[in-house]
Amino acid sequence: MPAAAPNFWVVFWAKLPYFLSVLLGAAGTTIKVMLGALAVALTLGLIVALLKLARLVPLRWIANVYIEVMRGTPALTQLFIIYFGLSDLGIDIPPVPAAIIGLGMNGAAYVAEIYRAGILAIHEGQVEAALSLGMTPINAMRFIILPQAIRLMLPPLCNYAVSLLKDTSLASVVAAPEIMFFARQLVTETLLSMDIYLVVAVLYLCMSIPMSRLVAYLERARRAWQ
Amino acid sequence: MIEFLDVYRQHFGEWVPELLVACIGTLQLMALSFMLAAIIGLAIALMRVSRSRLLQAIAVVYVEVMRGMPALVILFLIYFGLGGLGIEWLKFTSYQAAVLGLGLQGGAVLGEVFRSGIEALHSGQMEAALSLGMAPATAMRWIILPQAGRIVLPPVANYAIGLLKDTAICAIIAAPELMLRAKDIASSSFRPMHLFVLAAILYFIMSYPLSIMARRLEARLARDR
Repeated sequence: MPAAAPNFWVVFWAKLPYFLSVLLGAAGTTIKVMLGALAVALTLGLIVALLKLARLVPLRWIANVYIEVMRGTPALTQLFIIYFGLSDLGIDIPPVPAAIIGLGMNGAAYVAEIYRAGILAIHEGQVEAALSLGMTPINAMRFIILPQAIRLMLPPLCNYAVSLLKDTSLASVVAAPEIMFFARQLVTETLLSMDIYLVVAVLYLCMSIPMSRLVAYLERARRAWQ
Repeated sequence: MIEFLDVYRQHFGEWVPELLVACIGTLQLMALSFMLAAIIGLAIALMRVSRSRLLQAIAVVYVEVMRGMPALVILFLIYFGLGGLGIEWLKFTSYQAAVLGLGLQGGAVLGEVFRSGIEALHSGQMEAALSLGMAPATAMRWIILPQAGRIVLPPVANYAIGLLKDTAICAIIAAPELMLRAKDIASSSFRPMHLFVLAAILYFIMSYPLSIMARRLEARLARDR
């Protein structure tokens, strides 16, 4: 069908404003889900990391099981359990909170490992040196440990944020009204699947490429600093 | 809780064999897209380290675009997008689209992994081998590849784990694998919690050996350095 080629782009440009108006509105929900899940992951991840570094063996065990289970199963399966599974047991969570909880709990396992690596990477001699110089433990944490640990953790955390942004597309399967969800609705409405998913692809690239550039910059900064 | 577990006891013989068959679909999907990803990844890595600016630029754009999009969008572009154009040879079955989509995205991931492996080797290694009288191909075979291969093994194993989990999203385009089967049985039996937990367990059984392997490889590499 050689005649299809010019036709395709005529339709594409004609429909583009409509698609953009719908999908840009949905991008708000995508960002909301991402930020919500990021907040859950950063908080829960800290708890899991502290559990994993705890002296009590059962606590470490809990953290290990959590991390292994969350990282060993697909995020999609976890979302299905939280949304469809829990609703079967009589616990109904609306789509957006379900997506935030599901992606956040999944991310906490990754974030916990990042925190742990960051904390362990700081040599204990650093604390001892700070304390022997007469710093209080809080000051040592504030001025010696944290500034170094944060620099180490920032690139992998941003990396996680980029993959989280892409994972928010899974929220469409639990009917959270984000970009993919509206894209699928537009497809049923207009049947122009190629046009719509091209716009969707560009939208995601517009969000993720600046973020991954930032990661690359942070990586370089970290290496220069080390 | 007892009641919940009792349902499993009742349906074990009916659900588990069906899901195990679906696991084969998942593993096949994983193996095929891994192979595709490895081939594309090698090509991308060689383009990245080549002298041609054009090839470098193509590889960079490919990697950025493929890694910047959710896998779900790539699958939809291939399955619904290309399939909806009305061109016969661009119509893929959901399974083909799944292999193609995961393989294309994996090529970008593995491309970066392979490139970092090649670049991690000091150029003195090649020079030393050549100055000892080795032919370039011999040097590549005995000096460069064994070292680069060891460096990239842990990230490749990690990629394989991620890939295994990513096959689950192929259920959304109805490619025959574990998650799709679990979804089907869940909707016909009205037991979503049971089925999705069962699916999670099966995914875990498949991915856990891989993650132990990845960790061992990492530990061994760290020790050898």
